[in-house]
This record gives sequence, C-alpha cells and structure tokens, in this order.
Amino acid sequence: MAGPHDMATGADMPPHLTGALGLWTWDLANERVRGDARFAALLGLDPGQARAGIAAADLYARVHPEDRLRLRIAVAGVAQGAEVFAREFRVTTTEGVRWVQARSRVEHVADRRPQSFSGVLTDVTEQKRVEDRLDVAQSAGGVGTFEFVDGFGTVDVSDQFCRLLGLRVADTLSVRTINATVEPGDPPLIGGVSNAEPTFRSEVRIRRADTGEPRWLAIQGERRIAADDAGPTTVGAIYDITAAKAAEAQLRELAATLEQRVEARTQERDRLWSTSRDLFGVVGQDGVLRAANPAWLRLLGYEDSEVVGRSFLDFVQADDLAAAGRMWSGGDAAVALEDLDVRMRARDGAWKWVNWTVIPQGEAFYAVGRDVTERKQLEQQLRQSQKMEAVGQLTGGIAHDFNNMLTGILGGLDMVQRRLASGKPAEAQRFIQGAIASAERAAALTHRLLAFSRQQTLDPSAVDANGLVLSMEDLLRRTLGERIDLAIELDPGLWSTVVDANQLESALLNLAINARDAMPDGGKLTIETVNVQLAAGAQSELAPGDYVQLSVSDTGTGMSPDVMGRVFDPFFTTKPLGQGTGLGLSMVFGFARQSGGDVTIYSELGRGTTVRLYLPRHLGEAPAAEPKAAAPAPRGAGETVLVVEDDPAVRPVVVELLRDLGYVALDVSGAEDALAILQSQRRVDLMVSDIGLPGLNGRQLAELARDVRPDLPVLFMTGYAAGASRRSDFLGPGMEMISKPFAAETLAQKIRAMVAAQSPGTAGAP
Amino acid sequence: MTEGRIYLSELEVDALTELVNICVSRAAASLRQMVGRQVFLSVPSVEVVGRADAVNLMAERETGGLVAVRQDFDGAFAGRALLIFPEANSMALVQAVTGGELSDADMREFEDEALAETGNVVLNNCLATMANMLQRPLEMSLPGVMRGEGARLFQLDEAATADGVVLFLYINFAISERDIRGYIAVLMDLSSLDSLKTLIAEFIARVVGPSAAAEV
Repeated sequence: MAGPHDMATGADMPPHLTGALGLWTWDLANERVRGDARFAALLGLDPGQARAGIAAADLYARVHPEDRLRLRIAVAGVAQGAEVFAREFRVTTTEGVRWVQARSRVEHVADRRPQSFSGVLTDVTEQKRVEDRLDVAQSAGGVGTFEFVDGFGTVDVSDQFCRLLGLRVADTLSVRTINATVEPGDPPLIGGVSNAEPTFRSEVRIRRADTGEPRWLAIQGERRIAADDAGPTTVGAIYDITAAKAAEAQLRELAATLEQRVEARTQERDRLWSTSRDLFGVVGQDGVLRAANPAWLRLLGYEDSEVVGRSFLDFVQADDLAAAGRMWSGGDAAVALEDLDVRMRARDGAWKWVNWTVIPQGEAFYAVGRDVTERKQLEQQLRQSQKMEAVGQLTGGIAHDFNNMLTGILGGLDMVQRRLASGKPAEAQRFIQGAIASAERAAALTHRLLAFSRQQTLDPSAVDANGLVLSMEDLLRRTLGERIDLAIELDPGLWSTVVDANQLESALLNLAINARDAMPDGGKLTIETVNVQLAAGAQSELAPGDYVQLSVSDTGTGMSPDVMGRVFDPFFTTKPLGQGTGLGLSMVFGFARQSGGDVTIYSELGRGTTVRLYLPRHLGEAPAAEPKAAAPAPRGAGETVLVVEDDPAVRPVVVELLRDLGYVALDVSGAEDALAILQSQRRVDLMVSDIGLPGLNGRQLAELARDVRPDLPVLFMTGYAAGASRRSDFLGPGMEMISKPFAAETLAQKIRAMVAAQSPGTAGAP
Repeated sequence: MTEGRIYLSELEVDALTELVNICVSRAAASLRQMVGRQVFLSVPSVEVVGRADAVNLMAERETGGLVAVRQDFDGAFAGRALLIFPEANSMALVQAVTGGELSDADMREFEDEALAETGNVVLNNCLATMANMLQRPLEMSLPGVMRGEGARLFQLDEAATADGVVLFLYINFAISERDIRGYIAVLMDLSSLDSLKTLIAEFIARVVGPSAAAEV
C-alpha cells in the first residue's frame, strides 16, 4: 500500500497507460482525492491538480454514469467500516472510455471512523478485453479456470469451470463443493497439491453434480507467490478428458480381451469342424491323415483314432486309387483340386461316394468331402433311363428285324411241310437249317436287348473291346438300317481294357445312333479298334501311358465348330424335339472320364464325324472271348420273278416258294443288281422287292424300274406293321404290298393275281 | 452474483454486498482484537437464488469435515450467520483466542465453549452492525457449534415459504502468522424481497446522500 508521500516520484514518468498503476489517497473527511501522475493520466486530469487534490465530486463526474453510484456506495462502505475496497468502473476521457480498477484495504478500528484510505488504480481495459476473449476461449475449448488462495474456503471460478463439474454457474464456489464432486479415493481438485511443487498436473475422476455422470478431468496449474498478504495463490485450469480416457480404457480392454476373442473365434471354427456333415481332413504330403472331424464317425463310422495316422488311400476303393492319388501327388501340389468323386469304404464295409475338394496350404492339404452317394444313385438311374430311351429308339428297327427272322422261320417251316407232304424229306433238311438259323438270330437279338436293358451297376472289369464290338455287330446293323454300311476294323492284337462292359456297349450304341442320325441319306459307319501309346501332353486330359482306342466314324453331315463346342454338354441336342434327350454324348463323356479315359471328337461339316474313345489298358489276363453269333442262312438261285431282298434268310424262302409254285426266280440282294437285270434283255414278269434295302430303298427301285419297264408289276414286302396305314400313299398303279411274316399260300395267291392281271407281252424286255 | 440479478438489480446487489462487507469487517476487527493478529478478508461474494434452487445449491455445498459456529437472526428478514473453518483448524483457533494459556487437555475440554464464544463475538458484531446499518431491530439466537454434516449448516427454517429467495454470502478470512483459514457465510431468507429492496434503497440514500441516490 502506497502512502501519499510516494506520489511525487511518479510525476515525471511518461504516462504509459496500458496496465498503468496509479496511486491515490481518498480523504473521507474533506471529500477530496489526491493522486500521482499516472492516476491523473488514467482519469484525464492535470497532474499538478491531481497532486494538489480534486474534489470527490469532480472525480465522480469523470466516472461513467452507470458506475458512478456503485463507486459511491463502495466508498461509503469504507467510510462505514468496510475493510475491503475493490471496484471496477469506467471513466470517460478525451481518449475515450477506459476500464479501471481501484483497490484498497483499510483496517477497521472499533469505534473509530476511518479518515482516509489509499490504494491503487489500474487500467484494466486490455485485461477486460482479454477476459472476454478468454471467456469465449474457455467455452469453446471446454477449459475452466480457477484461482484459489491457500487456506480460503472458496475458489474464484470461471463459468466453464462450473459447467465442467455440473454445478450452477457462479463466480465463487466453496472448496468443499468442488471437491465433493470428486470420486472417493481420488485426490481433491482444489487444495490437494503439495506446497513444494510450483506446477502440477493430475487426472481426477468426478461425478457431475447435476447428472451424476462420471467424467475424467485433467487439472493443471501453478502456484504463485501472494499478490497481497493473503497467501500463496494457485491458478489453474481444468478440462474434460473423458473421451481420451475412454479410448485409453477401451484400448486396454481390447488388449486384455484379445486372447479371449481369439479363443472365441477358434471355438466358432471348432464348432464348424465338429458339426459339419462334410468330411474334413488335414492330410500331410505323404498322404497320411493328420486330423479328421467327427463327420468321419457319422458318415463312415470311424473313430478319430482309427483315421488319424492312416493313409488316406486306405479308405479308397481300389478302382479309384489312381484318381485319389492325384489329390496329393507332388506334380500339382500347389493347385487346388475340386470335384473329385471317390468311393470311400465305411467301417461296416459299405461304399460311400464322396466328392472331394482338396486345397494345398503350406505343408499340408485341407480336404473337404461331401457325401454324394445319393447323387451317384440318381446318376445311375438316369443312365438306365438313357439306355431305355436308346432301346425305344431301336424299337422300329428291331420290329423289322424280328419280322424278317420270323419270315425265315415260318417260311422255312412251311417249305419243310411241303417237302414232307410231297415225300421229299431229304430236301427238307436245308429249310430246317435255315429256320433254325433265323430262330437263333432272333434269340440272340432278344438276348442282346435283354442284356442291354438290364439294370446294371457300374462294374469295371477287364473287357475285350474287339469281342464286345463283334457281339454287338448284329444289333448295330439292325440299328443302322439297310442304308448304312457297317465296317468293323479290329486290331487283332488289341489290349484288353478296364471298363464297365455294359456302359461301353451303351456308349457304342449311342455313338452308332448318333452316326445313323447324322446320315439320313445313308452312308458308311466304321468302327475301329487300335492300341495307342500316349506320350505326356499328347492328350491334355490324359496321363501318359497305354490306351485302347475305339473310334466310331461316319460319313454324315458333320458338325459346325459351334456345335462341336457343346456336344458334351448335358441336354444339348441337335435332334428335333422328342427325338433325343441330349444326354447321349455327355453320358459317353462321363463314362470315359470316370473310367480313367477320355473322348475326342473330330468333325467337318458335310464330311462326317469321328469320335474316339480312349480307354485305359488292362495289364492283367485277357478275358474269355464271347461266342460268335450264328451264321446267316444259305441262299438260293433265280428265274423270271425278280426277287430283291437283302435279308439272306428271307430271300431263299421266297425264291424256293416261287420255284415251287412254278415260277422262274431271279434273286438279288440290292437295288443296283436289280436295276442291272431290269436294264438287260432278260424277261421279268414281276418284281418282288423288300422295302428296306441298303442304298436305294424298294420304292426308289420301283421308280427306276418303271423308267425302263413302265408296266412292270411290283410287289413290296415289308416288316413294318406301320406301313399298312400309309399303303395308299405309298403304292402306285400295278403295285401291291405284302407284310412279313407271310404264309407261302398268301404270297402265291398275290403273285398269281398280279401276274395274271398283266397282259402277256407287255411286260417283256424294253 | 449471476443468479442474483434476477431478483435484485446490479446496484442493489452491490449495496447488499457492501452492507455485508461492512458487517464482516467489523466482525473481523473483533476477531483481530481477540487473537492479537492481523486478519485479512477477501472481496465478498454474493449469490441470491430461488428457494427451490437453494435446495440443490445447498446439497452441492459443504459436506462434513467442518466446524461452524452459527447464529440465527430474525426480524425484518430472517437468516443465519456462520463462521466456518476446517475441523483441523479449530484447535488452532481456540489456542489463538485463548492466547496459548491453556494446556492441550484443557483446550480440548473447553474447545466448544471457546469456539462458541469466538463465534459469538464475531457474528454478534456482524449482525449488530447489520441491524444498525438497516436501522431495523434483529433478534439473535445464542451461538451454537456444529460439526460435520455441512449440508445441515446451510439449512434454513423448513417452514419458510417455497417461493422465497435465499441470499448466500461468502467472505474468506485468514489470520496472519497462524495457520487459520475460514470463511464467514451469511444466509438470508428473503421472504419479503420488497421490504429488503426498500431497506437497501434507504441504505443507499443514507450512505451516499439523497441527491446522489436520486441519480439512479
């Protein structure tokens, strides 16, 4: 506190007013105020006048009207005995309005009114502005400030300080109020600092007074030597660090629970491993199972201990070993293997089809196997339906064949009867043999059909492909019809192969039917067998080694490259709706691949198609050859009735019958021979022709015959029962038809009627 | 002071603060005489709040660990004056006021008595000054010593009307050369705000002169 005697010293000092400190003395008794040069400058007074003293009323006049009375009350307070004087007010000077603060401390003495009091006057204009800015900064930054004099029960606080604690906004808060928000056990916000530390920082948990919400606050501050005699002052700031603390806690939590979460994730995987219906296995590069899941027990009946440590191949059916071995063979070790069907042996000896996917990973293979036994059974059923469809396609041709055979039998027996009746038993022998041969062929065909349509499971065994082709020759010839020549070229030294014989027959028949359908105007079908040795990469899908190649070539329409690309697709067909399932070639393909072989197809539009089946060589003993089909019946000679019949069993019967009836019979087996005779000068009174002939059919032959002999009567023989409904459309004038099998008597009458209707001479040579 | 402006003008709060300032200063003078040491006072802090808010405010305030001497008063307005200091300080205060003439055992025995007497001197002086300044009689109770439960220190008459306002006033004090810190709190139940305003206006007119007061 400055006394009046100090005032002269400030007189010569330059009036730097910002933050300037002026000294003053207030004479209460005379209501006058004296001040130093800075005091004078702050209030806009003349320094000399101020030093001499001015009337209090003159000073009040310079104070802003709104602050004037407040200043007067404060001064009156001191006069009445108040010890603390502190007031901020505005003064109006020539330089504008200035905020100043007057402070003083007066010691009250009982029963004695103070006569004067002295104090300081400070320019706080800048401080006010800074405080305003600080308020904004505190609100925006969420920083609350406080000032605390050691030992005092209350703390001067900023508005933001109160808000941070959830307290009502006040300028002053009691220390206890502030510290009561702190969580028990944490250091107090105020007054908890050791006196030795000039600066401090700590973190404190509080519970907001208004909401009870727990928050983290940081408190930071410094201790200052007392500005007056009251004691050291602590000035500091608090701010909320809950979010940072929460993040920190979360991080700790994450670190602490990492192991737990890894465990949980592992359990999830374990659950998948344990509950899956698919077989899971971990297999080493040696093919030995390192681990197996419980599905092995459920599907195959093996306990874990019965699987782990054993070779995977121990569970695989012998026929699938080669394919299964590829699962962990060194060559393609890094490549995942998918969709491999393998038969696995269950503990009770049953076989289960399992579709494997194998993924190499590091030193091990991870194998997942799905039970596809049911799917395989359905596939088997589908193959059977496919076969039956092929039989259905054959029906027309087979009926024709059977009628031919029956004709041979019935006709032969009829002739025998006639020979016996006329007392020539020696001649009957020939016809008996013919009838027997026909009956045997019928029986063989029936046998083939039955064998073909019989439901058989896939059962690969050693097969002599040559024998199989020969055994099917008859069936194929009939399937192909008369207009297609069948050539069979077999390698006499052919290796035997390991396939399902039934499936191979089905495949061959399918290929033959396709070939037939590709040759609507006739052609040549060649079936060829040959041994091949494939080098590595020669046939991309096949491992190098020995194969039996069976090829089926036709001279048909061929296929465009576009069609070629899709021929193995299931349900792809070029046939009209209802005439094919589109499964033929895809079944052939499936069969070949499943047998460890492959199929290639070569085709050119308009030139024909060759399908080659590669079948794995069988290295064991050759199978026993099947007995060959019975030989065809013998043939006869001809006279003036021209018999055109390709069937050698039917032809002699017809010829013999004609001779018996007193006709001269000329017999030929095809249209070309028949035309040669017709174009010659030989007498022909009647032509008896089969309708289904190789090359030109019977109807086409009749057209050509009429060109050279317009009035030639023609009698058609047909094995198709369906022909009757189209008879009128099919037959021209002078043409008749007779259905096989026919009785000799019926034929005799028909021929007699036709020859009789023909006037003599007109049917002679052209 | 923030809340006070709802009920009283800034000038009225100023005047009221000054009024209490004068009273506490007189009380401090008494304390100074008793302990023979310098006693420093802080700038007074005043809050005037609604009674409903006051309940919350009081719950926020002092909780335990305190010693207080209280004196209730009644008259034109009712209230309670408190001399509050930390429990740890109480023995030092007793020692200070008894001039170090008592043994520790005696001090403990006479602690409450000495505290009550100290409070009586300080607070009575304070309240007497206030009655004198406002020129209205105030009836004062006997001083009582309270410990612990701080919230109870601030509880006024529970029967008071709910729509009244409560004035809180704080002045810190420190006794030089003794490690004694504390504060004086005055709580007034301003059941008749209008009468207080009249008293304040009269006080202003008296201390600054009628002509100056008329400028307001």
